[in-house]
Amino acid sequence: MTQAAFFVLTALADQPRHGYGILREVGELSDGAVQLRVGTLYGVLDRLTADGLIALDREEVHDGRLRRYYRVTEEGIGALDAEAERMAAGADAAKQRIAEGRKAPGPAVNPAPHPSAGPGPGPGLAGGLA
Amino acid sequence: MTTLLEARYRTVLRLLPAYYRRAREEEMVEVYLWDVDQDTQDQSRPTLGEVVSIAALAVRSRLAAAGAPRPYALLGSAVRHFALFAVLLQAATAVVERVLGLTWSSTHGSRQWDMFLSGFTGRGPLWTVVGIAEWVLPLLWTVGFFALVHDRRRLARAAVVLAALPTLWPLVGPLVSDWAVSDPWFAVANALFAWLPALALCAAFHRDAPPAALPFGAPGMVYAACCVVMGASLVLLPAMADSAWAPGTCFVLGALAWLLLRARRPDRSPDCGAVALAALGLLLLAVRVAAVYPWLGVLPAAFVGGALAQAAVLALLVVALAVVARRDLTAVSRGT
Repeated sequence: MTQAAFFVLTALADQPRHGYGILREVGELSDGAVQLRVGTLYGVLDRLTADGLIALDREEVHDGRLRRYYRVTEEGIGALDAEAERMAAGADAAKQRIAEGRKAPGPAVNPAPHPSAGPGPGPGLAGGLA
Repeated sequence: MTTLLEARYRTVLRLLPAYYRRAREEEMVEVYLWDVDQDTQDQSRPTLGEVVSIAALAVRSRLAAAGAPRPYALLGSAVRHFALFAVLLQAATAVVERVLGLTWSSTHGSRQWDMFLSGFTGRGPLWTVVGIAEWVLPLLWTVGFFALVHDRRRLARAAVVLAALPTLWPLVGPLVSDWAVSDPWFAVANALFAWLPALALCAAFHRDAPPAALPFGAPGMVYAACCVVMGASLVLLPAMADSAWAPGTCFVLGALAWLLLRARRPDRSPDCGAVALAALGLLLLAVRVAAVYPWLGVLPAAFVGGALAQAAVLALLVVALAVVARRDLTAVSRGT
């Protein structure tokens, strides 16, 4: 699943939204890191619709303009859940590796001491080599 | 009332095919104009990023996959077949030419070897870089082909674009150096033969497109067969060997085999292979004619006769493939 598809599904997970609502929600969910263009959004919506992960919820007309609301399907919830599990497992594995690295001796995995942080748990550059 | 900004967005959206605009245009305009102040709408324009994203969507929806309206699905299928067949041909050509060239140079004495090396040295650093790039980069056609059939699309795109780069040198070189191209028509035809497949691959194998699949045979076997046919055509008839001879011969035999297998196949559901092969044949015919034209009356009659005979066979084959393609498309339009 692409990053854009993941965020679009996440944006629709709690309630149906229209195109602009999805764009805004994706921006907020990603802290502004993912800014979808309209062309990209509709490419993603086409793909998710074709895969049965989202569906048209309703259509409304406001000031003479069409507004379509999309909702995530049961299959879409399943796919999003699986993707979230996969990402969480990856994040857990990364955290575990980082923790193991910090416990293990050796200069390669020791974090560089920040000047304002004071003495760290391992030897600093001067203390370790002197 | 329609504002200038709305009119501008609608102009950009005209890049999209009609079926897509019918389904989406009003909704997309609503998204574009959602939070734009009514008073500033006449001073605003669609950004370059928005135009590019719509252009990309237009390419994807025109070179569509199954599920889209039939003309667009057929166009997408034809362009994908064209890209696959052409990249296969380019891949085998590049490998065979280099293997045979290297073998010949390294087994026919020091003079041949020196001649081979002189293609890279002795003319300054620019020509050394160009010589190495022209020798090495086309090998990436093979990377592109196998990446494509294994559905590694990004790698395939990068490989074929890099592989096609050297064909630009004869067009760009005269602008940046004092070198003059001796045969501009061949340079143009050769660049088209490289860039049309590369661009077709980049455009048609988008995220929604189905994976590439050859109509028959495993990719490795088909690739090896193409290499053997091309190598044999050069070894058995060395008097004919110009840059169009081996791919032309391979295309003729491959297209005939495709027509034969198609005729014997019980399921003749059209897959746009004939359209793709006809287009590729036409492109090869242009390369063939451009390659032989400057040598008419210069080189021995056997060479010119062989090249013209190959051109005639290519032309006949293109006509036959076009007839088959027309029948296929007629059958599809009738829904059979």
